[in-house]
Amino acid sequence: MSHALRVVAAEALKQHRRLFGQPLVLFSMLLWPLLTLAATYYTVLPVMESAVAPQRWPVAGDPRRLLSFLAAGALAYTFFFSLVQSAWHFSFERVSGTLEALFLSPASRMALVIGNGAAALTQNAWLFGCFAVAAATAADVLHVAHPGMYAVAALALLVPAVAWGAFLNSMLIFSRDSAFLYTLLDDPLWFVAGVRLPLFALPVWVKAVGLAFPLTSSLVVLRGALLDRADLGDLAAPLGWLAALTVGLFAAASALLRLGEARAQRTGGLQVF
Amino acid sequence: MSTGIVTTDLRKTFPVRRWQGWRRRPAAAPVAAVDGLSLRIPPGQVTGLLGLNGAGKTTTIRILSTLLRPTGGTVSVDGLDVVEHAREVRRRINVISGGERMVYDRLTARENLWYFGQLYDVPRARLRARIDELLDLVGLTEAAQVPVERFSRGMRQRLVIARGLINDPAYLLLDEPTLGLDAPIAHQLRALIAQLAADGVGVLLTSHYLAEVEQLCRHVYLIARGSLVAQGSPAQLAGQTVRRHTVRLVLAVADPAVTAVLRALAERHGAELTVDVDDEGRPRFTLRHPQDLVGAVVTAVVQAGGAVAGLTVTPPTLEDAILTLTDAQAVAVR
Amino acid sequence: MSVMAATFVRNWRITLRAYPWTYFVGTLATGVLTIGVSMLAYRAIGGGRVGASFTAATGSADYLGYVTVGAAALTFTTRMVLWVAKAQITEYREGTLESQLLTPARRLPYLLGVTAQALSTTAVEITVLVAVATALGVRLTVADPLTLLAATVAATVAVVGMSVPLSALMLAAGEAHITQNTLFTAMALLCGFTFPTSYLPDAARWLGEALPVTWALRVLRAATLPGTDVDPWPAFAVCVVLGGAYLLLGLSILDPAERRALHRSARA
Repeated sequence: MSHALRVVAAEALKQHRRLFGQPLVLFSMLLWPLLTLAATYYTVLPVMESAVAPQRWPVAGDPRRLLSFLAAGALAYTFFFSLVQSAWHFSFERVSGTLEALFLSPASRMALVIGNGAAALTQNAWLFGCFAVAAATAADVLHVAHPGMYAVAALALLVPAVAWGAFLNSMLIFSRDSAFLYTLLDDPLWFVAGVRLPLFALPVWVKAVGLAFPLTSSLVVLRGALLDRADLGDLAAPLGWLAALTVGLFAAASALLRLGEARAQRTGGLQVF
Repeated sequence: MSTGIVTTDLRKTFPVRRWQGWRRRPAAAPVAAVDGLSLRIPPGQVTGLLGLNGAGKTTTIRILSTLLRPTGGTVSVDGLDVVEHAREVRRRINVISGGERMVYDRLTARENLWYFGQLYDVPRARLRARIDELLDLVGLTEAAQVPVERFSRGMRQRLVIARGLINDPAYLLLDEPTLGLDAPIAHQLRALIAQLAADGVGVLLTSHYLAEVEQLCRHVYLIARGSLVAQGSPAQLAGQTVRRHTVRLVLAVADPAVTAVLRALAERHGAELTVDVDDEGRPRFTLRHPQDLVGAVVTAVVQAGGAVAGLTVTPPTLEDAILTLTDAQAVAVR
Repeated sequence: MSVMAATFVRNWRITLRAYPWTYFVGTLATGVLTIGVSMLAYRAIGGGRVGASFTAATGSADYLGYVTVGAAALTFTTRMVLWVAKAQITEYREGTLESQLLTPARRLPYLLGVTAQALSTTAVEITVLVAVATALGVRLTVADPLTLLAATVAATVAVVGMSVPLSALMLAAGEAHITQNTLFTAMALLCGFTFPTSYLPDAARWLGEALPVTWALRVLRAATLPGTDVDPWPAFAVCVVLGGAYLLLGLSILDPAERRALHRSARA
């Protein structure tokens, strides 16, 4: 176990050096999400101003609530997408030859992908996280049942995100066209996860697809706990599903790593998909 | 328990898939990269693995280092099977490949070594001292805190070498380690390899620089198309070949009569003759023949009235051995 | 002219051999999903109606048509910028910039050759996007084909005008990813692709007015929004003048940017 923790610490340093102080983090994790958030808000505004909208969705009638609903979506999406981005970068290690050096070592492969994901998350998303907390506090839009729900919201965002990162890392290490997966997990992810719309507005099949991604349920918990005064009882169903998804993602990551490495040992190529 | 790395009848075939219409299907005959190779790499000496490009050297090293799984045969490291006990084997070995890959640009030299030290689970108490030792060994102590992206090529390669030693490996697999290195650094690395072997490390060396192999290796395996062609000490291997002596003769002044005599002599013996000029513009004759023709050449030149300005005779080398032995094998396969 | 034709042919060959599917799917997905979100919101939340501010700003209640045309225009802009602005930095990365600069060819015909080829592939991509939107149930009308043609010309001038200084910026910075995505997200907010610019705060609106694409969109709206009776030609004129100014600015800073890039690669 202590070896695994050392691997996680080592990955943290690597991510810190890769990302800290890089202008890309500032742009992709703060500026672009904010610009996109504003554009999304204005794009849906005409609909929200229609006479029937507030009856169908109370949030629609209050621009501040609408903006905080969309901002919560942008926050969670930024967290999850930062892991897509870091996994994409991880796949570059195949080209630079360092991936081979990792596979030469006796380090646990699972510790490597978890460490990489967790470290990328903290390096990437702290900026937008801080910004969102500050903005939400200043705008006085947070409605929490009791202080413990802050912790619930944070855990519901972070733990599944790390599992998601471990899964993506395992997948992209062995992927031939990582750029394609990267694209696939960019726009379609926000669409199916209800980042920009309440889930009830989505067709059933989109909702079903969305449930497979932890972002969807993380977002339900985040919005419920922070914006709608929901308590643990209200959120039991999404929290339970989130726990199941998290376990499933870790299991899938572990299986992918084993299959991928065995295949690499057989064929000599690290590309599986 | 047998010590050393021992391979028995090692085989590795790669599945080859070819486009067939819209689908890729396995080709009828998979490509054998390593075909029945039995080697022993004992501790405390440098063992050479030679062969032309594509002979299977890198595949062999990748199997020994657990990156590839053999299709047949066995490999054990100090009695541990590389497939069954991959993790334990990984602790005992390391690989250094030529070139500048395998280190992180954004990390400093010290951070790279620290990172890999964590991955190899080098005891905490030991790691700091080990990093200092290695930085000193490869001459990067001054540059320890500089990110690798600002390194010169030679500095990167030296860091790659230090990375390969971070876990104090009992066995070190060197795949063209001096490829592209500056002469002084290559010289230092050879001294280091010899020292490591003297300290008990088992080293496997593949290299295109045969002088390096002749200098360092006590035992050499020569492979072609994944199979063993010959083995022995470098001197023994060189002796196994059809001997090709090279006589190089420089005349003080050009003399058509001497040229004619030498051409006739070469034709008579069936020797290969090339005529060019040396750095000072003097005519130079190079004769290659299984027999040492130096006596006949000198006699002929003197009789024709030529003035000899320089004369060298080179006995057959390891390079000749590789060329002739692998050629013979290629012919036999065809 | 031969430089332009040769670049056109070369880029077509490259495109046919290695089509950048990933970019295409990415930009198409952005367009389709933007339309999708608007459509779902319009039906499930708005009840098929929009607020008065939209009708007042656009002179039309055709929200879905507005968003679809905007999403198609955004796809057009994104793809064209990716082709034209990134042409030179791609050459730089692949190591062919130097051999290109060694020739006596001028920059403008080269960039126009890239543009011509980009227009032909982007046309196909926009057709796909519009077909998907139509399949989703969006009904588009073209009020005046001549105005639509003018809008296409205006959009091309605008995009090429903006791409040339951008190309210089990328070469000088040795970086494309941050520059291009900042431009795309900023344009999506400032130019009025999916909502009228009158929604924006004043400062942001003035920024948008300085971009030729904003004016090209006004010509496009005149051509595609039913029930509006706006004279497109003043906007067309502003777009061409503004685009031309960007182009001239870009061509004047291209040379120092190229030298800087070569300097950097010589040092590396």
